[in-house]
Amino acid sequence: MTVLFDRPPEAARPVREVAGYPQTWRRTPRAPLVRRPLTLSETTGPLEPARRLRPLGGELAGAGERRAIGQAIRLRLRIVDQGGVPVAGALVEMWQANAAGRYVHPNDDDHAPLDPNFYGAARLVADADGRIEIRTVKPGAYPVPTRDGWWRPPHVHFSVFGRVWLARLVTQMYFPGEPLNAQDRILNAVADPEARERLIARLVPPTGDPYDELVYEHRIVVRGREATPPQP
Amino acid sequence: MIPTPEQTLGPFFLPRFVDADANDLTQLEGRRARGEPIEIHGVVTEEGGAPLENLIVEIWQADAAGIFRHPLDPRHREADPDFLGWGRAATDREGRYLFRTIRPGAPAGRAPHINLMLMYSGLMRILKTALFFEDGPGNDADPVLRCVPPERRGLLVARREAPGRYRFDIRLRGEGETPFFDD
Repeated sequence: MTVLFDRPPEAARPVREVAGYPQTWRRTPRAPLVRRPLTLSETTGPLEPARRLRPLGGELAGAGERRAIGQAIRLRLRIVDQGGVPVAGALVEMWQANAAGRYVHPNDDDHAPLDPNFYGAARLVADADGRIEIRTVKPGAYPVPTRDGWWRPPHVHFSVFGRVWLARLVTQMYFPGEPLNAQDRILNAVADPEARERLIARLVPPTGDPYDELVYEHRIVVRGREATPPQP
Repeated sequence: MIPTPEQTLGPFFLPRFVDADANDLTQLEGRRARGEPIEIHGVVTEEGGAPLENLIVEIWQADAAGIFRHPLDPRHREADPDFLGWGRAATDREGRYLFRTIRPGAPAGRAPHINLMLMYSGLMRILKTALFFEDGPGNDADPVLRCVPPERRGLLVARREAPGRYRFDIRLRGEGETPFFDD
């Protein structure tokens, strides 16, 4: 079996230096990146990182007296490769701001309040069908402290391990219909509008049950596809 | 299908995601990996030389026999069962990272090396590089190292400070900039 790594089109990747995002100009390499032949080293990768990393459950919203403040939502994620094959066992890390737009992180000195009932992180392993489900609250928007000031729209961060080194992905998921999406410098660093659309989750039509949360579905495609089906 | 676009890690990747022993590849669930334990350490800086705190470094490498623990490696059934080949570290306030690992053997057609990946606020895409050893062997013939312009190859070679201890500084931009790969 071999795995093919089609290069993603440039317009479907973020530009690396972003106007109004000063850190990108101090940290992005100046020299052209080096193209290399792919050997086993790049086309294999860690399959069991979860043996080094402790799990963190997907129930973030809580219940009763421990219920986090904010709109409870359910995120249904599916991790597939470029051939559409589910990545069973994919390790996924997720983190987000609370409903007020504040992270539980020493780097976040925003004035928005912390919520004692919300930590805002999960680490899960996808099932045989590449699926993961997280019950959380919808994150708030927050201002980015730069000179000309801009706001991040509500978003959720994901770190995903595929089956090979080149499939490793760090990305963010956005919500449909958010007015701040159109101005976000990180989302709009991806030039192709169709590629940006693939970063936005889909709202599933609500059920009639008032106790159900709003459900968002989202597909994450990691790099690589099998050239031949795996042998039994 | 086209892969989901990358987005920056941002400044809020939780310290909790960097588990206490995630940078120690020399043991797995209490059992020691085969081979020579080594330490790889260094400082990560941005343009102007300022150290970067809480930057995430991940590594992937072959075991002491040069085998990758992955079914695509034809020799994977002989891979060391007590070596995962993967680890994660975060830089401290002075920009320092540290891995305890096993000296990798030479995979077929390659010099001994360790793959590194950097994730951080301001990095719109993951940065990928590779580390080679000052005391080689086979660096001159490595097909990946040979893709790097000759005058920059030395920047991918870790310096031997003491037996089993190597220093590999990473400069993201500017003078002495580390070569990075685009795959």
